[in-house]
Amino acid sequence: MLVRIKYRKTSAGRFMSHLDLLRTIERIFRRAGLPMAFSEGFNPHPKVSFGSALAVGITSDAEYLDVELREEFPLDQLRERLDVAVPSGIEIMEIRQLQTRTRSLTAQINMARYRVYVPLAEKMEASELEQLIQKAMVQPTFIVTRDGKKGKRQVDIKNGIYKLEGRLDEDYIILQIDVQTGSEGNIRPEEVVEMLRKTGDLYLREGLQIHRLGLYVREEAAIKTPLEI
Amino acid sequence: MKDLKSILENEILSRVNKPLRYVGTEYNSVKKEWNKVKLRTLFAFPDLYEIGMSHLGLRILYHLVNEQPQYLMERVFSPWTDMEQALRERDIPLFSLESYRPIAEFDCIGITLQYEMSYTNILNMLDLGKIPLKANERKNEYPLIMGGGPCAYNPEPLADFFDFFVLGEGEEVILEVFETISSHREKHNGRQDKKILLKELAAIKGVYVPSFYKPIYVDGVLIEVQPTKPDVPRRVVKRVVQDLDKAYFPLKPLVPYTEVVHDRIMLEVLRGCTRGCRFCQAGMIYRPVRERSSEVLERQAKELIKATGYNEISLTSLSTSDHSNIKPLLKSMLDKYEQDRIGISLPSLRVDAFSLELAKEVQRVRKTGLTFAPEAGTQRLRDVINKGVTEENLMEVTTAAFEAGWTQIKLYFMIGLPTETFLDLDGIVDLAYKVLHNGMRILREGGRTRQAKITISVSSFVPKANTPFQWEKQDTLEQLKEKQRYIKEKIKDRRINYNYHEAELSILEAVFARGDRRLNELLLKAWEKGCKFDSWSEHFRYNLWLEAFQELNMEPQELANISEEFDRKLPWEHLNMGVTKAYLWQEREKAYQTVATEDCRYQSCTTCGICQDLGVSMVLERK
Ligand code: SF4
Repeated sequence: MLVRIKYRKTSAGRFMSHLDLLRTIERIFRRAGLPMAFSEGFNPHPKVSFGSALAVGITSDAEYLDVELREEFPLDQLRERLDVAVPSGIEIMEIRQLQTRTRSLTAQINMARYRVYVPLAEKMEASELEQLIQKAMVQPTFIVTRDGKKGKRQVDIKNGIYKLEGRLDEDYIILQIDVQTGSEGNIRPEEVVEMLRKTGDLYLREGLQIHRLGLYVREEAAIKTPLEI
Repeated sequence: MKDLKSILENEILSRVNKPLRYVGTEYNSVKKEWNKVKLRTLFAFPDLYEIGMSHLGLRILYHLVNEQPQYLMERVFSPWTDMEQALRERDIPLFSLESYRPIAEFDCIGITLQYEMSYTNILNMLDLGKIPLKANERKNEYPLIMGGGPCAYNPEPLADFFDFFVLGEGEEVILEVFETISSHREKHNGRQDKKILLKELAAIKGVYVPSFYKPIYVDGVLIEVQPTKPDVPRRVVKRVVQDLDKAYFPLKPLVPYTEVVHDRIMLEVLRGCTRGCRFCQAGMIYRPVRERSSEVLERQAKELIKATGYNEISLTSLSTSDHSNIKPLLKSMLDKYEQDRIGISLPSLRVDAFSLELAKEVQRVRKTGLTFAPEAGTQRLRDVINKGVTEENLMEVTTAAFEAGWTQIKLYFMIGLPTETFLDLDGIVDLAYKVLHNGMRILREGGRTRQAKITISVSSFVPKANTPFQWEKQDTLEQLKEKQRYIKEKIKDRRINYNYHEAELSILEAVFARGDRRLNELLLKAWEKGCKFDSWSEHFRYNLWLEAFQELNMEPQELANISEEFDRKLPWEHLNMGVTKAYLWQEREKAYQTVATEDCRYQSCTTCGICQDLGVSMVLERK
């Protein structure tokens, strides 16, 4: 059977790299007594696929993975068994059975929503913040430099920022942002903060905290979660 | 002030390398309520998390102690230098992984002594924990510092820093130790009175309190280490588990979040090895051989898979292919777990056809490399060290390996062994070429496209306490380096990969392996100069060690060697690890006569002393 699982990454979970996670998922299923399907060939590996990768250090409320099992299980039993098999820092939120193998999660997911805590070094008024966000968002382009395998690259991120909202909480700006993610382009929340910093000549302190609120499939008509499609 | 936990989680962990080294909430970790237990203990491993978590002894003791409702045991490892810097900058004391508590708040800290070159890390950890380094500077409010593990059979170089050592197999004695400490505390209103407590501890068999003993020197020569209290034993005898089937073994062991060196189920199939290699400390100190029965092993394997989810079981021991039931056991496990893609691995292989058959079986599920240890390059020298391996054995096993599909083989050798000449070094090179050329021929004839490759890994002989070679002279640094170069120049073929260890490290290892109490000062000085993580080449700073030697008027070469007379007392002679001094000496003489000693598991008992004196015996599943 094929299932899609939504899970959270908290505390220690956020420090797990993609490779750590891959190994851990296999162990979770084995502990839960849920036999995973393996690929054929010389070096078989479990059939798991992940949604968009999450950088080490970021917590998340909504990560997704698809897993194929060799046997059928009722969903509530699946849930029960997984709950005791996950390590602290990973929490199962929801499980849905997929009837047929659809497009992979990475091919479907194209938008991410983040909450970002930006520590300010100087005081700021709510109206200033509002103006700053407006000013940043009306710019036609914003170029960032990324380190790639073939050296530095210039990328325009502006088109990939779908939504940017912010409010002040003492000496923090709390941002909520919707950005493009997935195979078509991936915008990092730090880059959006950089855009604000440059546009408004902000002075920031160290200690940016990023939290992923969700991953979505954004289409003309609507924004859906990977469990809704 | 914000609590330590939130500072670490929010401000420090995300800024250091591999933060999961410092997070103690792994699957199967145990966190108990601090105020609900009688005794709070800490297991300290003086190296990185990835190394320490690969150590079976940690898992055994951690879970054994935590299964007792009245005690708790947490863990701490050496923080890597980036973390150390973060802690020192903010004046945060070294903390335990499970509850993020300063290590000084624990009642007892057990530090495992696995290899000499971790000693500077011990001092560094105590210092980071704001605990006075020397035992006599630690008042009653500080934790008791306990040492154990293989290096505890000669703990003299650490005697100043530890309150007591435990000799032998920890699971046999640790609960007695903790019971003594906790009932002492109950009697003393929840505190300890170290003077009394240490006496109570010294009464436990296997516990050595170094402050109750004094080395007597005459003209700079050690005459004896004598008890200074009437009721402590003249010789402390180690503890040994008799029945491995009945011994505690953790069935819900820790599963790290992130990859550690040995990241798999470790199933201990037997303990001890009586092949009798004369340089090998493990082969002497873990006697006699005690096998765990197949029935127990099968049951443990099943439960361990369920409790950990690992996809690999390592059948660990000093010499797994010696288990008398290994073949059926291996086959049965492979059959059972193959469909779940759970592989079995064998950490050490004898150089013989039987072992290769086992390796071939293992390949069914997972491909692994092959490593053999002839140890010396000529038959003469292999006879001297009692390594019962012939060139025919090696050629036979490697031929079978190439034929079975392997293309890369790794061989372990040692240089600097007693009686070695350059002919023996030539022997290493010749063997490497022979195995390579044989492999090339087999691959060519089989029409295979991949090339044969050989790795030879050459370490320097370190004379260790409690071995037949404990009296041997170690080569000088220059000799070792010359020998390393000599081999290097003879290996021209790019298909032979030649590795060797830093010779400087081997010299220091010998200094500490056979050292006496005078070394405490040296260790302290080296640490003060900044030595730590000595076994990590990026941190090893021999020049600082040399400075320390110089300032103390000590000579490394001199310290690395001891007297070669039988009647001279050894610095560790007041500690009894079971095998007698007379037996070791006899083995040494046989080495010089190139006479072999048989393995008592296959031949008759050679009276090494342990079964006679310690009331234990060999346990084999099948005779
Ligand atoms: S006393 Fe005899 S049987 Fe026991 S380990 Fe020594 S040699 Fe082997």
